[in-house]
Amino acid sequence: MKRNPTVFLREEYQNLVEQNLNWKLRVLEGPSAPLSVVEGKKVIMLCSNNYLNLSNHPNLKKAAKEIIDTHGAGSGSVRAIAGTMDIHMEVEKALARFKRTEAALVYQTGFAANSGLIPQLVDKGDLIISDELNHGSIIDGVRLSAADRAIFKHRDYSNLEDVLNEAEKEAYRRILIITDGVFSMDGDVARMDAIVNLAEEHGAMTYVDDAHGEGVLGENGRGIGAHYNLEGKIHVEMGTFSKAYGVVGGLIAGSRDLVNFAFNKSRTWLLSASHPPQVAAAQLAAIQILESEPEHWKRLWNNTTYFKKELKSMGFDTGQSETPITPVIVGESSVAKALSDKLFENGVFALPIVFPMVAKDKARIRTMMNAGLTDEDLNDALRAFETCGKELKIV
Amino acid sequence: MHVFGFVVNPIAGMGGRVGLKGTDNVVEEAIERGAEPVSGERALRMLKVLVRARNECKRELPITWVTVSGNMGAALLEEAGFSSQEYTVLHECADITTREDTKKACREFQTHNAELIVFCGGDGTARDIFEVVDAETPVVGIPAGVKMHSGVFGVNPESVAEVILAFVEGNLGLSEVEIMDLDEIAYRKGEWRIDLHGIAVTPFEDSYIQSAKMMVRGPSEEELKKEIAEYLLELMEEDTLYILGSGSTLRTVGEELGIDKTLLGIDAVVNRTLIGKDVNEKELLRLLGEYDRSTLIVSPIGAQGFILGRGNQQLSPAVIKKIGIDRIMVVATPTKLQQTEALRVDTNDSDLDRAFSEKKYFRVITGYHTMAVRNVEVQVARRSLEKRGGIF
Repeated sequence: MKRNPTVFLREEYQNLVEQNLNWKLRVLEGPSAPLSVVEGKKVIMLCSNNYLNLSNHPNLKKAAKEIIDTHGAGSGSVRAIAGTMDIHMEVEKALARFKRTEAALVYQTGFAANSGLIPQLVDKGDLIISDELNHGSIIDGVRLSAADRAIFKHRDYSNLEDVLNEAEKEAYRRILIITDGVFSMDGDVARMDAIVNLAEEHGAMTYVDDAHGEGVLGENGRGIGAHYNLEGKIHVEMGTFSKAYGVVGGLIAGSRDLVNFAFNKSRTWLLSASHPPQVAAAQLAAIQILESEPEHWKRLWNNTTYFKKELKSMGFDTGQSETPITPVIVGESSVAKALSDKLFENGVFALPIVFPMVAKDKARIRTMMNAGLTDEDLNDALRAFETCGKELKIV
Repeated sequence: MHVFGFVVNPIAGMGGRVGLKGTDNVVEEAIERGAEPVSGERALRMLKVLVRARNECKRELPITWVTVSGNMGAALLEEAGFSSQEYTVLHECADITTREDTKKACREFQTHNAELIVFCGGDGTARDIFEVVDAETPVVGIPAGVKMHSGVFGVNPESVAEVILAFVEGNLGLSEVEIMDLDEIAYRKGEWRIDLHGIAVTPFEDSYIQSAKMMVRGPSEEELKKEIAEYLLELMEEDTLYILGSGSTLRTVGEELGIDKTLLGIDAVVNRTLIGKDVNEKELLRLLGEYDRSTLIVSPIGAQGFILGRGNQQLSPAVIKKIGIDRIMVVATPTKLQQTEALRVDTNDSDLDRAFSEKKYFRVITGYHTMAVRNVEVQVARRSLEKRGGIF
């Protein structure tokens, strides 16, 4: 057979373009900052994950710049062979100290942590129990495992209990309960206390993907374990350096046994190069800032509380969020899209999330707070919401 | 430009408030009892969302409607704000409309290559349309009838508008759903029977995977049904009688088994071989007498998540007791299951109802080596009729 080996590349892309389903990349001119320049327009940034604005903190920038002079621009290898530098070890030590766990391990990305570690923790004859709204990287990690899978209703722990009871009929060797910490569509938080109680009853492992909770939840942003006073009781606290920490990279925190197991077994960790030293140095600086400058974390929550309160008083529906992710639920998808466009014209960058990504009557603008926004910025953003909301007869 | 059919059954839903369980064959009686039309207003609610999307939200709406004259379509499109250039009347109806008008219109829609048929009515209207359109044309229903067991209906008129908008933008896949209807003549004689008339296709959201900022499309409904089937095949034990329920998920199981399974009926399989096709209660009882071990595999059908008691009357109390309720397996795709709050049963047998209540929940197979758990709710037909004002 005579094949055209690559014709599908263009055809499939063209299909996406025709259906308007292709990604159109919005280019930031300059840094991701509370006030960013997006395609030539200065906007209040309400859709980045840079919750604490640490990506622009002078200490992080300085640490990244300086280490290039002493350690170079790249790490040269995977961690397991010759790519472990002193700075990588320092980050992990500082992270364990901050997270108040025995040990910690840094992965290349959060995705690499989930897709590398989950399939090692459970295998054939085991069971993974997962919240139905868990993040895509968990789903991929779960799919790479030969374990059986069970899905429980979103944050419905009585349904989780039924699943555990049903699972006991099968004599599974291990059971792993896995959940997002903060769910990024609604900003709601997993009830880790309920999960840990059920897990202890059944001898199940617990794994939380705290990507949106690291640096945000718990005292000074220590994460979801600290938020529920469960430090050391969650078997795997997974997170990322790419959101509140302002850098990039995945992380896990837990026992020394966990870390020893994880870095010897995770294929993603073993088979991709380690972070360049400037990334590791910025990670270390971020941890130090979280420990020494609680004002960023406090500011994030003050901003969040103020923003939610004002939106509500204008008559917007902000859903059930308990975190700096605040959805502004407008119902109809067309209204959400129009609101996002109008907000951008009025200097606010926030994206719409519509059916089929959320339920048919729950189209929304999703906003993510930033500690670097001043009172004046927030009032500007709120004014834009009010003006556009009135124009579209939402409020 | 997309061509969509639009037809409203003007008398749908009129029976409800005056105590009739539908308007099939009794529209005069409904009017005498003071029934008022409801479907036009519901269709308008849907259309107005579309018009608002275009006019106020500047959303593109590349739709040409093909429709029926007057209050079966054109008048409502006009009232909602569509101009006469945006629709074509393919069928003229008289003042008093009948189901034949719906059928004629849908035949015309097909001739004019309608990609989607949007209708407003109830189970009876869905059935009329299903009888004339080919199985590949997707259908979506604005709920306005007294009976709405079929899976083609949106939860409310506004949700149908969202489906249409997402469908236009290519964001929806298609899924098969059951067309079901109460036998109204039997019902008025005091007999309760919901029949499964067929399987239609409707626009449907495939599974979506949450990611940090957006969602990524996961596997399609069809792929997920195949996964379920593959797993069931692994679980099947030798010399065990498997009774396979109706619906498209179990048809996929039949395909994977390589047997000619019926879509609407109940079939029996042993050692991966079809030993009974479209079997009735008597045949089921005979087969159950022949095999020591048996398992019933069912999927929730219709809009309310019934696994027993709707569209599968062959699975009588005697049959279920013989199988044993612990030998019932439930299968459903994750997206379908997400829309199914609880699994409902209506067995017409108080002992069985009690046994199901005590069982509390069922394991549901939702993919390859994947399960969920859903509570089981015992529903008694007549009681629910009164409670829900006729919409059951």
